[in-house]
Amino acid sequence: MIGGLFIYNHKGEVLISRVYRDDIGRNAVDAFRVNVIHARQQVRSPVTNIARTSFFHVKRSNIWLAAVTKQNVNAAMVFEFLYKMCDVMAAYFGKISEENIKNNFVLIYELLDEILDFGYPQNSETGALKTFITQQGIKSQHQTKEEQSQITSQVTGQIGWRREGIKYRRNELFLDVLESVNLLMSPQGQVLSAHVSGRVVMKSYLSGMPECKFGMNDKIVIEKQGKGTADETSKSGKQSIAIDDCTFHQCVRLSKFDSECSISFIPPDGEFELMRYRTTKDIILPFRVIPLVREVGRTKLEVKVVIKSNFKPSLLAQKIEVRIPTPLNTSGVQVICMKGKAKYKASENAIVWKIKRMAGMKESQISAEIELLPTNDKKKWARPPISMNFEVPFAPSGLKVRYLKVFEPKLNYSDHDVIKWVRYIGRSGIYETRC
Amino acid sequence: MPYLGSEDVVKELKKALCNPHIQADRLRYRNVIQRVIRYMTQGLDMSGVFMEMVKASATVDIVQKKLVYLYMCTYAPLKPDLALLAINTLCKDCSDPNPMVRGLALRSMCSLRMPGVQEYIQQPILNGLRDKASYVRRVAVLGCAKMHNLHGDSEVDGALVNELYSLLRDQDPIVVVNCLRSLEEILKQEGGVVINKPIAHHLLNRMSKLDQWGQAEVLNFLLRYQPRSEEELFDILNLLDSFLKSSSPGVVMGATKLFLILAKKFPHVQTDVLVRVKGPLLAACSSESRELCFVALCHVRQILHSLPGHFSSHYKKFFCSYSEPHYIKLQKVEVLCELVNDENVQQVLEELRGYCTDVSADFAQAAIFAIGGIARTYTDQCVQILTELLGLRQEHITTVVVQTFRDLVWLCPQCTEAVCQALPGCEENIQDSEGKQALIWLLGVHGERIPNAPYVLEDFVENVKSETFPAVKMELLTALLRLFLSRPAECQDMLGRLLYYCIEEEKDMAVRDRGLFYYRLLLVGIDEVKRILCSPKSDPTLGLLEDPAERPVNSWASDFNTLVPVYGKAHWATISKCQGAERCGPELPKTSSFAASGPLIPEENKERVQELPDSGALMLVPNRQLTADYFEKTWLSLKVAHQQVLPWRGEFHPDTLQMALQVVNIQTIAMSRAGSRPWKAYLSAQDDTGCLFLTELLLEPGNSEMQISVKQNEARTETLNSFISVLETVIGTIEEIKS
Repeated sequence: MIGGLFIYNHKGEVLISRVYRDDIGRNAVDAFRVNVIHARQQVRSPVTNIARTSFFHVKRSNIWLAAVTKQNVNAAMVFEFLYKMCDVMAAYFGKISEENIKNNFVLIYELLDEILDFGYPQNSETGALKTFITQQGIKSQHQTKEEQSQITSQVTGQIGWRREGIKYRRNELFLDVLESVNLLMSPQGQVLSAHVSGRVVMKSYLSGMPECKFGMNDKIVIEKQGKGTADETSKSGKQSIAIDDCTFHQCVRLSKFDSECSISFIPPDGEFELMRYRTTKDIILPFRVIPLVREVGRTKLEVKVVIKSNFKPSLLAQKIEVRIPTPLNTSGVQVICMKGKAKYKASENAIVWKIKRMAGMKESQISAEIELLPTNDKKKWARPPISMNFEVPFAPSGLKVRYLKVFEPKLNYSDHDVIKWVRYIGRSGIYETRC
Repeated sequence: MPYLGSEDVVKELKKALCNPHIQADRLRYRNVIQRVIRYMTQGLDMSGVFMEMVKASATVDIVQKKLVYLYMCTYAPLKPDLALLAINTLCKDCSDPNPMVRGLALRSMCSLRMPGVQEYIQQPILNGLRDKASYVRRVAVLGCAKMHNLHGDSEVDGALVNELYSLLRDQDPIVVVNCLRSLEEILKQEGGVVINKPIAHHLLNRMSKLDQWGQAEVLNFLLRYQPRSEEELFDILNLLDSFLKSSSPGVVMGATKLFLILAKKFPHVQTDVLVRVKGPLLAACSSESRELCFVALCHVRQILHSLPGHFSSHYKKFFCSYSEPHYIKLQKVEVLCELVNDENVQQVLEELRGYCTDVSADFAQAAIFAIGGIARTYTDQCVQILTELLGLRQEHITTVVVQTFRDLVWLCPQCTEAVCQALPGCEENIQDSEGKQALIWLLGVHGERIPNAPYVLEDFVENVKSETFPAVKMELLTALLRLFLSRPAECQDMLGRLLYYCIEEEKDMAVRDRGLFYYRLLLVGIDEVKRILCSPKSDPTLGLLEDPAERPVNSWASDFNTLVPVYGKAHWATISKCQGAERCGPELPKTSSFAASGPLIPEENKERVQELPDSGALMLVPNRQLTADYFEKTWLSLKVAHQQVLPWRGEFHPDTLQMALQVVNIQTIAMSRAGSRPWKAYLSAQDDTGCLFLTELLLEPGNSEMQISVKQNEARTETLNSFISVLETVIGTIEEIKS
């Protein structure tokens, strides 16, 4: 149970404060500011205990959101709730920034009123909330009888995430496979750890109560379903991937997944996250970074970094950025790069090398001479890793969408009439190579 | 923001709220109200416009209504008489045709924290419980809990409770969960809501219909359900199996806890469950949501306490990445330290070695301590890494390495040789108190193996005047005296200088006393000094005591998925203890100094003591540990009431005695180390009337008897006699065990 919720800006000024329980005093809001936001050292833990009160905080850009309680609660649940709250707010007014919060101040109080009562989470589905709180305020007296009854059925309905009677002229759906690939590589090019965390996001504009069935090239699914047709197993066996674990949106029937390994569901209207998964095996690492650092005497460093793209030549990677850290006592840098633009940014202590586009199976190189100021500091430079950012148009885990079928028995449209779009985007998460 | 001069703001707002032109224009009116709320959020006292705000509540604009109700809930306790005026409007809204308005009004009315509101809200709540819109029912159900909270400790309304129990069958899932929450609060004094078989089964069947918050909550309530048979138990576990793979980490953890508790008699099921949640937990540990990742790591550590090998093959998952926040890195280092085994030790150490040179000194030091922890099992490799780190000649690294060495030689004497070889040269890179103390201790205890030990200590003696830390000076005195015993020729002169300085010039009393003490000790003779100072140099058994063998899962299952793993057990214990003290606040003295000076016994501690057959009418109660200072003061001010000698032969373990005394509620205030002569112990106890017994136990060298002196703060012979018989029994028992 949550006793209160506070939102602060980066200076510690209170933007929103809502207290739900008597045991949270008025000074709690100040205690957090003094002890955490204004504290000199870096944040020690996202859970802070001040005077026997627990403060759970998350940060979004430079906004602090804190939940307060005196009870022995489930920490994971409180953080999930804070994330959910951020999602709900983002769904209403976009980015969570000081300006947006100040402008939507009334709306936030309205939301806080609905999603928590007496400190207990209530309905927090954005879809459901949106029917009775709108950006401009509530549709109060203009509300027709019909709309009112819709709210009631929405709120009572058996399926909490979708209301009845949705109609579209054009039935359309969009599937986005969004992955972030994480890598930690040793200087010798040995993979220390790598994983992909991915999400399948679906945007559906479908009429009625459509039953959807989703298929992908997961090993277990294919093996289980392919038993009948041995032919198919051999064909797709090579391309199937091993998902370490995956979780689904509430709408997916888990019992059916466990028994038949099929993913079937009635989707919420609009955008939602269908599944979230993680893989660690056979990851396609889109880029290899090969660093070479040579210390020439005490006042000079020579750095050479080669990046190799490792995917089909027909595909193009975008927004490539390589960040090569430099020592603190750098006095000057000369950079030569074959492709893109490179710049030494003194304020960030790094050489930032940007390439707009790069095709697969290509190689590019940067070399830099770093001049150092002689210091009497005996401290050796710790050599932070070289990090990389990029975006590629495929899924580094190898996941493929095999089909998405739509059945709506009550209305007269079939699977063929639905326009479907599938898109794969692989982004870098924490992609680091030690040097 | 204008904290000062808020009167002007209030005045201006008041005027605006009363202005009929503004009242007529809906948007402008709402804007003024928004400003009031904004100032309220910033901490300004806005109670001055209460009257005007109450008037503003009579509107058809729901947004405005919400704002005004929020305002009223905040200030109602300050203006209870004016708040009553608002009740009328609220009551009217409770029968509005729009369910949203009904719910809002009911929720606000229940949140007005002021006396006397109960009589007005009772009827609307009862109506709300039977409302046809589930939105209103949800509000009404929680309203019951709010109403009960307002009443304070008044008796429970049986009819209402029955109504709530029947609403557990409501078709709206949130109403069901709210019912549980509400009943839990109302029936808190009777142990909370009762989960019997029909309710448990009903909840289990509804689980999949609930949202994640509801699922987590219900899983928590199901913890108190005891399945009747093994068959039922496994049926429940099968039903809940899918929740171990839920998309919400909170639900996964909740389900895990429920499984662990329900299957407490089936260790293999527990292990199986932990294997099944390995995937989800690891996923949480590498998720982008850093706070969740932190929580998951805390729980991974908890699991590792019982199943050390559980995550060993996944050790790479716990390697730190450069851009992760500090708190995650520190947790990961702890995890790495715990999952190390023969196969991965090489890689883990290699990784930890990399962290030791991290830019953040905190993190680097944590990594070094972690290597020190691993060194208890894999001594050679770790000592080698630590020695290499000394070569970097960095202050923050050297000091921690030396501290790690100190702790290590005490536990693993086999590495003494390697440590002694590594030490020379360290002194140049140590500036802080902790590091200096560690180095000086090592030089003192193992000085005979370090050729230049006297010269290093000599430097410290030279600079003792400018030394800022008294603790370092004390350590220096002890170390030099120890080294003097093994290498007298090199140390005699500087020991003289140091003692002279400490006795004649030192201003810190503790240091001066220590100097005087050693001086007088030296006067007694060198043999005496040797006997006192040359205690054993290592104690490997301490390591075994420190990390007890695998703890059973059941010992922490009930703490799983609470704040205990997040804060750590020790920290949580202090937090919850304070909370306990707070709860029985009025009975306790206000200041802590008073608590120590009077024989006060906290009420909750007055449990019956295990009575000994011959203790008679005496009843010893567990005392809050007396402070050593207070004990000393009392001891000096009292006369010996009783003295006695008991036969005593040979060695024994002081811990055993201490434990035995603890059983009969006699506290040990201070005790000499095992084997030292003379051996002394000071004990204190208190009976239920508040009479204090202070005791000194003394074992003289060469004597085969224990001398007991007892002092009492109230002269009462009968209690004194029974106390002494208790003490005799305990000591007699120890003597028996020994022989």
